Amino acid sequence: MAQVWFLAAIWVGLALIAVLLAIKLRISTALSEIVVGTVAQLIIGASVGTAFLGAQQSWVTFLAGAGAIVLTFLAGIELDPIVFRKHWKEAIVIGFISFLTPFLGCTAVAYFVLGWPPRASWLVGVALSTTSVAVVYAVMLELGLNTTMFGKTILAACFVTDLGTVIALGLIFAPFTIRTAVFVGVSVLVFAILPWLTPRFFKRYSNRVSELEAKYLLLLLFGMGGLAAWADSEAVLPAYLIGMVLAGTVGKDHILIRRLRTLTFGLLTPFYFIRAGSFVSLPALVRAPFVFLVFLIAKTLTKFMGVYPLTKVFNYERKEGIYTTLLMSTGLTFGTISALFGLSHGIITQDQYSYIVATVIASAVIPTVIANAFFLPRHLLPKTITEPDREAATTGAPESA
Amino acid sequence: MLRIILVAFDGSEQSRSAFDLGLEIAAKFNAKLLVVGIISLPEPAISVEIDAMLDHGKTHFAEEFAQLAEKAKEAGVPFETEVGVGHPAEHILRYAEDNHADMIVMGRRGLTRVTRWILGSVSERVMRYAHCPVTVVK
Repeated sequence: MAQVWFLAAIWVGLALIAVLLAIKLRISTALSEIVVGTVAQLIIGASVGTAFLGAQQSWVTFLAGAGAIVLTFLAGIELDPIVFRKHWKEAIVIGFISFLTPFLGCTAVAYFVLGWPPRASWLVGVALSTTSVAVVYAVMLELGLNTTMFGKTILAACFVTDLGTVIALGLIFAPFTIRTAVFVGVSVLVFAILPWLTPRFFKRYSNRVSELEAKYLLLLLFGMGGLAAWADSEAVLPAYLIGMVLAGTVGKDHILIRRLRTLTFGLLTPFYFIRAGSFVSLPALVRAPFVFLVFLIAKTLTKFMGVYPLTKVFNYERKEGIYTTLLMSTGLTFGTISALFGLSHGIITQDQYSYIVATVIASAVIPTVIANAFFLPRHLLPKTITEPDREAATTGAPESA
Repeated sequence: MLRIILVAFDGSEQSRSAFDLGLEIAAKFNAKLLVVGIISLPEPAISVEIDAMLDHGKTHFAEEFAQLAEKAKEAGVPFETEVGVGHPAEHILRYAEDNHADMIVMGRRGLTRVTRWILGSVSERVMRYAHCPVTVVK
């Protein structure tokens, strides 16, 4: 038992180092944790042995997996159902095409250009099909576009893209057996019941110090996650869908979300991202840097081929169209989740995992830099946010202008 | 003629000194004081972190601005606040332009040359691109 505590201390120590680095360098904690995990594994592996960090230990795997599940749930719960209902056609079409073209394009590049095996190629397609809702949201917040219908529609489209990624991850690599049928059947039932049951249950029993709501949600997430794993699918798939179906109810309980966020951010996600980083092989990246460049170009180009023409169909101006497309070329969380899924299930090798994660990280940064530098649709930026616009942003009511 | 003075505030000692100077100038010129706080998001962000920083930032600025409001009230200076999200220099410049500020007052941290090269200096960027005079307080 002493060994477990010491190992836990090392992991939390690495998380602390990552936070300090993130504060100093003003980067996200997630990125810092991935980098710290990579470097730690390199140093510890070289000096003590690759197994010392214990990334494959069951309790580390559990905490990391729980981090991915709750993080995905919190991502799904950010969906704005009012905007989605209002602009569902635009959001679904842009979001789906934004998923499909890089999914097929990057798969093809991995298979035909780099000669990767079929399953690994499909995994590349899934990992690089994502759009980072958080990156898009951060940019929208900065520019005030999150209060405009343009911004909200793009955000809704991002959810659709990630939904495509999560479904593809959950179903492509799962062998279609009776277990899959049971998983799908139970999932449909649960998603249908939850929006009705959850608010009633919370209304009856909530607002107690025993954190009933958090336990209820974790029961759902772990239970459905277990069912997904039993069906050889991926636990984050039901987590994302549960988040989306509860976005209109639980998503509005800001205090509950904040408590879940503390649990996730404070304990779980460091294990997830440090573990993800610990599997990245720097020697592999140094040996063949062009692989990650090929993937980065493939992801960006395929997003362009899919999304940009659609922006014309919906009458976006040129700058708006390119800006939208570049933002939707970003990706971080689901990309790393997909890559880690592939590595854990023997679909990809560690070297292939390293190329994918490096591409995912680069895709979170480079397209936004280019978008903000050259294609910012300034005419959409609100000069000042008036009180009616603030109210509209909160209630989803039509804006004043 | 100074009518609107914009103070960039982040809670640091330097920004408090900048506020005090801005308040003094505003009082002498019968100007309005506009205090701007910027919540700077990490890059690349994840959703959980963004929401946490927004919550923390709003609470932080609400508490700080309440204290500043007291000081402005005692000095009899008209006082407004804004909280923005994103890159500090860009927002300071934009608020100054949008509100037709006649002067910007801001603090400056003592970054090392290397840190300044990697991260950039907010005060230097504002000084370079501002449409109005900028006073930097160390």
